[in-house]
Amino acid sequence: MNPIKKIFELLEYDFSDAGKFAKLGPLFDATKTFFFLPSPKTGLGPFIRDHLDLKRYMSVVLLSLMPVLFFGMYNTGYQSGLARGETLDVWTAFLSGAWVVLPIIIVSYGVGFFWEILFAAIRRHPISEGFLVTGMLFPLTLPPTIPLWQVAMGISFGVVIGKEIFGGTGRNILNPALTARAFVFFSYPVTMSGNVWVAGADAVDGITGATALAVNAEGGSSLFSTLSDQGFSLSNLFFGFVPGSIGETSALCCLIGAAILMVTRIGNYRIILGGIAGLFITALLFYFLPGTRGTWADAGPLYHLCAGGFLFGVAFMATDPVSAPGTDPGRWIYGFLIGFLTVILRVANPAFAEGVMLAILFMNVFAPLLDHLVLKHRISKRIPNV
Amino acid sequence: MEKIHLSKGFTLKLAGLPDTSVIRLPRPATVGVSALDIPHIRPKLLVKEKDRVKTGTPLFCDKRDTSIHYVSPGTGTVKKIVFGRRRRLLEVVISLDAMDTFVEFDPVSSKDLSQIPSGELADHLKKGGLWQTLRQLPARDTADSAATPPLIIVCLNGNDIFSPHPGLVLQDKIRQFEFGLSVLKRFCDRVIVAARTNSLALLAPAKHLITLAVPDIYPAWDPGTILYHIKKEAKENAAWYIGAEGLVRMAQFLETGRYPVDTMVTVTRGNDKKPHMLTRQGSPVRLLAGNFPPGSLITTGRLNGRIKDPDAHLGFFENTLNILPDAQGDEMFGFMRPGLNKPTVSKAFLSCLFNREVQLDGTLHGEERACINCSYCENICPVDLMPNFIMKALVGDDIEEALELGLLDCSRCGLCSFTCPSKIELTRILSRGMDAHHKDKQG
Repeated sequence: MNPIKKIFELLEYDFSDAGKFAKLGPLFDATKTFFFLPSPKTGLGPFIRDHLDLKRYMSVVLLSLMPVLFFGMYNTGYQSGLARGETLDVWTAFLSGAWVVLPIIIVSYGVGFFWEILFAAIRRHPISEGFLVTGMLFPLTLPPTIPLWQVAMGISFGVVIGKEIFGGTGRNILNPALTARAFVFFSYPVTMSGNVWVAGADAVDGITGATALAVNAEGGSSLFSTLSDQGFSLSNLFFGFVPGSIGETSALCCLIGAAILMVTRIGNYRIILGGIAGLFITALLFYFLPGTRGTWADAGPLYHLCAGGFLFGVAFMATDPVSAPGTDPGRWIYGFLIGFLTVILRVANPAFAEGVMLAILFMNVFAPLLDHLVLKHRISKRIPNV
Repeated sequence: MEKIHLSKGFTLKLAGLPDTSVIRLPRPATVGVSALDIPHIRPKLLVKEKDRVKTGTPLFCDKRDTSIHYVSPGTGTVKKIVFGRRRRLLEVVISLDAMDTFVEFDPVSSKDLSQIPSGELADHLKKGGLWQTLRQLPARDTADSAATPPLIIVCLNGNDIFSPHPGLVLQDKIRQFEFGLSVLKRFCDRVIVAARTNSLALLAPAKHLITLAVPDIYPAWDPGTILYHIKKEAKENAAWYIGAEGLVRMAQFLETGRYPVDTMVTVTRGNDKKPHMLTRQGSPVRLLAGNFPPGSLITTGRLNGRIKDPDAHLGFFENTLNILPDAQGDEMFGFMRPGLNKPTVSKAFLSCLFNREVQLDGTLHGEERACINCSYCENICPVDLMPNFIMKALVGDDIEEALELGLLDCSRCGLCSFTCPSKIELTRILSRGMDAHHKDKQG
């Protein structure tokens, strides 16, 4: 017999309702089902069931996050090298980046799982797989210089206030990872907004620099050349060799992730395409407005698409099925308005350089309303049967 | 011949299509009449153990309409009356004599048919134990003979994907089938005969009688699904429907005055291509199923049937047995594997790249979780419901909203539960909602 299975069978009794660790039953259950996918007999029709379950569902999301994660590690190391005036080779950059990024991820998962287990133990329900994604998404939205205690605070807020007080996975209104990020963003603005610290540039201080979205050209020069001067050429923004939050710098990697989600139908393509369409159209409208030279209103759709966290947000955050609308027309509108609001916030709101986080959270709140309207419409189309 | 179009449904190719040869099984030692596959019935027993019964003797009736009889499909002695919990009638078992003695009813010829008032015809069928082959949507209860149906749908294909082929069921019985159709015309002018497109070749002798071809996507041939796709106004919701074999037996009963006892059954198991089996109605499951591995599930429709106890007998409406294997035990790191051999309607396993014949076992492949609003159920529902929203309305006890969202259009095909990644028993929740509503309406 499989030795790991033996261990689980030995421990089974202690974690059962009669055992001494009964309270930790959900933890045991989660660990066991991680190793051995359960497949109990169907007691009710239909008697055959599809192989897709939530573990697989969430694993596909994690898989789609791998490109941004690995590139994020590499870029963190690469940027810190640049800041010190060195050009690191790929492996050194990757390893030094991983040295910074991994602790953030470990803290996020560790603290988050603590809350998950606590709530699962009190409520006597199994630990949901949804946190596998939340625990990975949240660190990827953070700058690499974030203090670890802030990571712990953020994920605690995201899991407890963003999800568990609503009843856990499936019942939350807001995306928990973004709720966590919003909490950190507003509570610790010094570490989060406007300027980013490039990780590890100096043991004590680090070097500050503006993110692309905080750049405005002055004295009538064009935004593009100013951006280019500061290292934010379109190709750098597209490939991601710019400082920023860990996961969001590379538009290319986000697009690969989005493609994985869309091809496997795990992420809804309507949200992603709707979001990109909304961003394109709104950015074009601003582009043709007169008198915006040198500001982000003048940037045009491609810069808006590649700069900042839009693609990361629309691919991984907006497609969270729980906080998005559950109807197809609702998803198109939801996605489109996320793109629209992102540009509006970037261009028309001087308080925030970046808008995608707030745009998604705002639309999360409106998702049930969109669903309600779509349902009303669909009901009116049906031949009544009551 | 008209056609309906249906894009949503069960698109996997299942292995185990039965062969189109027909064999006759030996005479069973016992037959049973089950009360479990008759929806909404409140049975009232009319016999005791050790009573002698003829073929056609009523065994129990429906308390809601005591003139509807469920009759013995064989001659012999009542061996056992099996009750479940709370004395619920499960089945009446009869040990068969060597020869049949029939209860004789007055035959009705096609000439007589136009003379009899439809109410009298219905009473005649009720006494003969065949009225209940006619059922009424949306609750799928026994047809209400006091009402006039807006239309009657004759569904040639059965409930399961591998139910008996209508071409074989109707073989040499086209005349009876035609007579049956004229019986239905006595109750309603609009009779629709629907068949799967891939059944049409073997159905050539009956081609002139078929009015609607439905695509080969399960459950396009289900009466509820057909009705949803052809109906134009709300009053059509109360349509009646009947299966091919039910109609033929009704006709045989009227012509001969004797209760017809033969039925055609398919048994599917893995890659087997078993022949169609001609047997007596109510045959024991063990006689039909043969040997099967321990732990298998035996069902009367892998998506919309019920679990069959191997020691029970085939029900009145049941003509398919699926033998589904148990899983091979918990799979290590099952959720991370590429999944070449994991059939799915999603695109999350590599198996979706190949259009191969697949087999599915009788297990859940996961554990129940909260609904995450992924819309997989909506994307597979053949009648355009949003099972996730209806489920939430029903769980929140809001039957009004569930009805508005089209709950009663549900054809109980089971596909929402089949596809749900959170393994929520959507079909059960929706069915319970419908049943509760039906019970409420009956008062």
